[in-house]
Amino acid sequence: MATHSYPGLLARGAGAGAIAGVAAGMVSLFVVETQIRAALAVEEARNAGAVGHEEMFSRGVQVVGGVAAVVVVGIALGAVFATAFAAVHRHLPGGSDFGRSVALAAVGFAAVGLLPAIKYPANPPGVGQAETVNDRTVLYFSLILGGLIIAYGVGRLHGLLAARTSWPAPWRATAVAAAAAAAVIAVLLVWPAGPDAVPPDVPATLLWRFRLASLAEVLTLWAVLGVAFGLLTEAPKSGRGAEAGNPDPVRGDYQGRGLR
Amino acid sequence: MASPAVPVRSRVPGLPWWSLVVVAAALFVVYAVLQENGVALGQVAQVVHEFFHDGRHALGVPCH
Repeated sequence: MATHSYPGLLARGAGAGAIAGVAAGMVSLFVVETQIRAALAVEEARNAGAVGHEEMFSRGVQVVGGVAAVVVVGIALGAVFATAFAAVHRHLPGGSDFGRSVALAAVGFAAVGLLPAIKYPANPPGVGQAETVNDRTVLYFSLILGGLIIAYGVGRLHGLLAARTSWPAPWRATAVAAAAAAAVIAVLLVWPAGPDAVPPDVPATLLWRFRLASLAEVLTLWAVLGVAFGLLTEAPKSGRGAEAGNPDPVRGDYQGRGLR
Repeated sequence: MASPAVPVRSRVPGLPWWSLVVVAAALFVVYAVLQENGVALGQVAQVVHEFFHDGRHALGVPCH
């Protein structure tokens, strides 16, 4: 039987999320902030002469806030991740809890990180129009919802094909991948374009670098979450892998290699 | 799933009812950090928004 309780799993999710948040926070601190600084310089030049509004926090505090944001989001995401893992792990590929964790993180990144980054890419400060923020928010979150529905549908389709057909595994995988690609293309075409034009004083290189940096931060968050949760869930506690109720040759092998 | 040749026993438990509460709370935290503009937190939202402002942009969430 299971040796992880749900609270235990949840604690691992939160822990893995904290680790992932700190890792992504380092990307924020050393990579994204460089581009935010450049964008703020553009914004400042644009507003030169105008009556500037007083900032509530200094730049230094906001940089710390940027790291804190992704750490807090990482912990919360880890809790959701652990719950989702408990709910769907039977249907995930990977052959072990580590593999399943990485697979779930890959799906999460694709649906929640990559898909919106393609359709509504990140913008540095000074690009978005305040009047369109509600429209953009609805588009953004509905797209993520669409991505999650596709991910769920793809999983269901794979299960159906496995149960109802005698197709060999590569055929099944190809059919599922083709269906996923078609669904993603359809969603990208159906969802309307983002409403904001990029202001002409924002350099294309700045925009490109900021978007790459932002995607790197999101990718770091998901990748480290998947790997850390996988390690925390898979690695046996001392002696427990040898329990009679847990006769797992794979885990025994891991123990032999001393992975803790 | 019928496909894997060697089924690997998983150590993951079933879900209690309060897992839904956990997910709702976690999603609210994400919302508060990345999206809250005054609907749920009122006056405090401005402070939260300004403090986490860099994080919102960095994670690609729509922002003014």
